[in-house]
Amino acid sequence: MSWEKVGRDGKLLRWYDVMEVEKYEYTVGPAGEQFFNGLKQNKIIGSKCPKCGKVFVPARLYCEECFIKIENYVEIDANEVYVDSYTIIYKDDEGNKLQNPVYIALIRFKNAKGGLLCYADGNVRPGAKAKIVSFDWPLKVKVD
Amino acid sequence: MKVNIHLNKRVAIIGAGMTLFRRRLLETPQEIAWEASNKALEEAGLELKDIDCVVIGSAPDAFDGVHLKGEYLAHGSGGIKKPVSRVFVGGATGVMTAIAGWYHVASGLCQKVLAVAEEKMSPDRPHPQAVFRYIWDPILEKPLNPNLIWIFAMEMHRYMAKYGIKKEEIALVSVKNKRNAINNPYAQLGANITVEDVLNSEVLVWPVQLLDVSPVSDGGAAIVMTSEDVARRYTDTPIWVEGVGWTLDNTEWPGRDLAYPRYVEFAARMAYKMAGIERPDKEIDVVEPYDPFDYKELHHLEGLLLAKKGEAPKLLKEGVFDIDGDIPSSPSGGLLGVGNPIAAAGLMKVISIYWQLKGTAGKMQVKRPVHTGLAQAWGDLMQAGTVIVLRN
Repeated sequence: MSWEKVGRDGKLLRWYDVMEVEKYEYTVGPAGEQFFNGLKQNKIIGSKCPKCGKVFVPARLYCEECFIKIENYVEIDANEVYVDSYTIIYKDDEGNKLQNPVYIALIRFKNAKGGLLCYADGNVRPGAKAKIVSFDWPLKVKVD
Repeated sequence: MKVNIHLNKRVAIIGAGMTLFRRRLLETPQEIAWEASNKALEEAGLELKDIDCVVIGSAPDAFDGVHLKGEYLAHGSGGIKKPVSRVFVGGATGVMTAIAGWYHVASGLCQKVLAVAEEKMSPDRPHPQAVFRYIWDPILEKPLNPNLIWIFAMEMHRYMAKYGIKKEEIALVSVKNKRNAINNPYAQLGANITVEDVLNSEVLVWPVQLLDVSPVSDGGAAIVMTSEDVARRYTDTPIWVEGVGWTLDNTEWPGRDLAYPRYVEFAARMAYKMAGIERPDKEIDVVEPYDPFDYKELHHLEGLLLAKKGEAPKLLKEGVFDIDGDIPSSPSGGLLGVGNPIAAAGLMKVISIYWQLKGTAGKMQVKRPVHTGLAQAWGDLMQAGTVIVLRN
């Protein structure tokens, strides 16, 4: 006898509840502040490890390899952007068909470690050069 | 008499690091974990590439608001491209992190382990207490909408009723710990308060008042644990892990004696047996019992067999547990004084004992010479006890 077939509300056979904190408020951290303040000025800010010289995008407070603090924030060339991979979304979370499919791309920068997820538009394909058209988070890029 | 288990390696702690414990830190959880880990490695004189394995301790994912928190924290804890374990036993996680680090080394599997505990409770709005709403039995307890504070109020009341303990006697714990915390550079709530201040503070749920409880905090802590031969190479004063113990009790808390923490006793007996301790009240020189509430410290001191049942308040009044007493208790300031970022708070207790035994506790250093110390944490639905015994 499956339990779906017995018990109605009020029969003390089922209890309903929700499990969430009302909301979360995340801090971006010191390095995150540099990165998001940079976006306001249409800049992509990364950080450069003084020991191994790796540049991280978005900016990080520490180097994951050398494990030392990074205080050197650098501007990344926002014109040298390429699409690493992308996907196309046809339905929303509820399964309703979207009017226009949404392109999501992972973009990477020249000589920098890491990448950013953003909305993409145009003839998107892996390896294609992209241009950032909006610096509001999440970013939007266009591929010719 | 020592217990007859074969340990592949003797384990030492050779470095420790902590972040400030604060109400709302700006750093992300990964950055908090990194800061603690980095300081621990620095003190140990090791680099990240020397570490074989990373152990991470963190309480419910819902605090930081990131699921798979072990994996998330691995980045800041130096766990990239290394074996990583995460342990989680509620509030007892902090000491369990050190225990897990211990068995990674004692088994002979690893030589050098970094054990990191982090907790960030501030992202939850309106209050992290909401996370605790879901640790109860969903049918038997949840409809009453319990929260931790009123559950422990019941435990506190039972403890007071059974042994005839007064609020004034329990408030002394808060006074002592906040006073000790003044000397702790990492502390959130060091203060010189009096018993009257505690009794006049806001009643949250009777008999628990505002100054009876520890705060909500963000913070991180980390230690480096190594096998004996490695420890001898890096330091002249390694602190040895002599005994560990951990226990779970029945999750149905109404089915338990609320006046006595037997789960702590079982964990303590396991650790004492391993360390060859037969008279804990004579052999333990300094102790860090888990004190999220002030009565809990007394409760745990009894569970650790350092006081007879119901007699901890009397010994406290006599000054036995003061910083210049026979068995100094919570010389760091404990959770009441330093703060309570759940997992990091437990590891902070281990670090406090480590400092005391190494003699580097600075102003927190207790008056008497110390050779054997104990740190203890407690958690879940008042059911998990974790104990670690250290010697210098």
